[in-house]
Amino acid sequence: MTHFALTIIGRDRPGIVSQVTEILYRIGCNIADSTCTILGGQFAMILILSHPEYHDREGFGEAFAPLEETGLSVFLRTLKPGGEIHCIDRGEICMISVYGADKPGIVYRVAKELGDRRVNITDLNTKLVGSAARPVYVMMIEAVLPEGTTVEEIDGMIGALREELQVDISVRSITPVEL
Amino acid sequence: MAVRDIILYPDPILKTVCAAVPHIDAASDALVQDLLDTMIDSGHSVGVAAPQIGVSSRVVVVDVSGSKLGRNNNHGQLVLINPEILERQGSETMREGCMSVPDYTGNVIRATEIVLQFLDRAGTERVIKASGFEAVAIQHEIDHLDGILFLDRVSSLKTDVFRRK
Repeated sequence: MTHFALTIIGRDRPGIVSQVTEILYRIGCNIADSTCTILGGQFAMILILSHPEYHDREGFGEAFAPLEETGLSVFLRTLKPGGEIHCIDRGEICMISVYGADKPGIVYRVAKELGDRRVNITDLNTKLVGSAARPVYVMMIEAVLPEGTTVEEIDGMIGALREELQVDISVRSITPVEL
Repeated sequence: MAVRDIILYPDPILKTVCAAVPHIDAASDALVQDLLDTMIDSGHSVGVAAPQIGVSSRVVVVDVSGSKLGRNNNHGQLVLINPEILERQGSETMREGCMSVPDYTGNVIRATEIVLQFLDRAGTERVIKASGFEAVAIQHEIDHLDGILFLDRVSSLKTDVFRRK
């Protein structure tokens, strides 16, 4: 079965999810994984879909035109076979909190340190909080460490960034406990 | 005795309130042994509740002594029959998963300290105070006896610091 990635974004208002999912339901799509959230004033949806008969974007025809007409932007991507399967990393999972006075480059510098060490970011969100006069930048990263790398090592590695960026950074293990 | 298969959701037994054990006898002892065998055989489990092996009875076993999070603060192997949490204190968030709900984890807020009353394997009335990871594991397992899964207690989809008061 072919899988697709559907991305939708538009000014937040009630009813977007029902509008989108009604179309998907009526054309016979199955929603596998999805995440929907508010970013700024925008509502963003990312969905992994499958359809028993559609093998490419053309199969959907004009199904999403009503969404565009109500001000939503729609992007559909056909996944290569196996592209819907999540490869489980075996390493330790950690949460990295970064927060401090807002300045350019915080995301890039932290992400580069992690990427250079093969740390796989699985979730990242940032938010500007505090007052307009004294904005505070908050970034939360969930990441999987390469096997054999410890949370303490990562903490030590990105420690230099605390000084360089003048931000606070904490790293802690959040490896799930199966009970 | 026997290592039993772990029952997976959506089996309705996992959403059922289990019956109290009326008396300690050979049957309750056999159930305890099966729970222990199943927990030990899994190699990584720190607790199993009776409904997870298909028995709707208020019995759980817990042992966090072999886990990184619980090895320094535990009561060893616990057999809890008709357990009841008398007091709860503090709260902490932990990323939980469950053998009965594979491939999904969620942040759950649990009490950090509990006072627990239960019958042990021999039927003796006991009261203990548990804390840290052991307390979390006990709360998770006792939830199973009330038909509550960790999915019913997931605390937030977004990081709490983003929540505006």
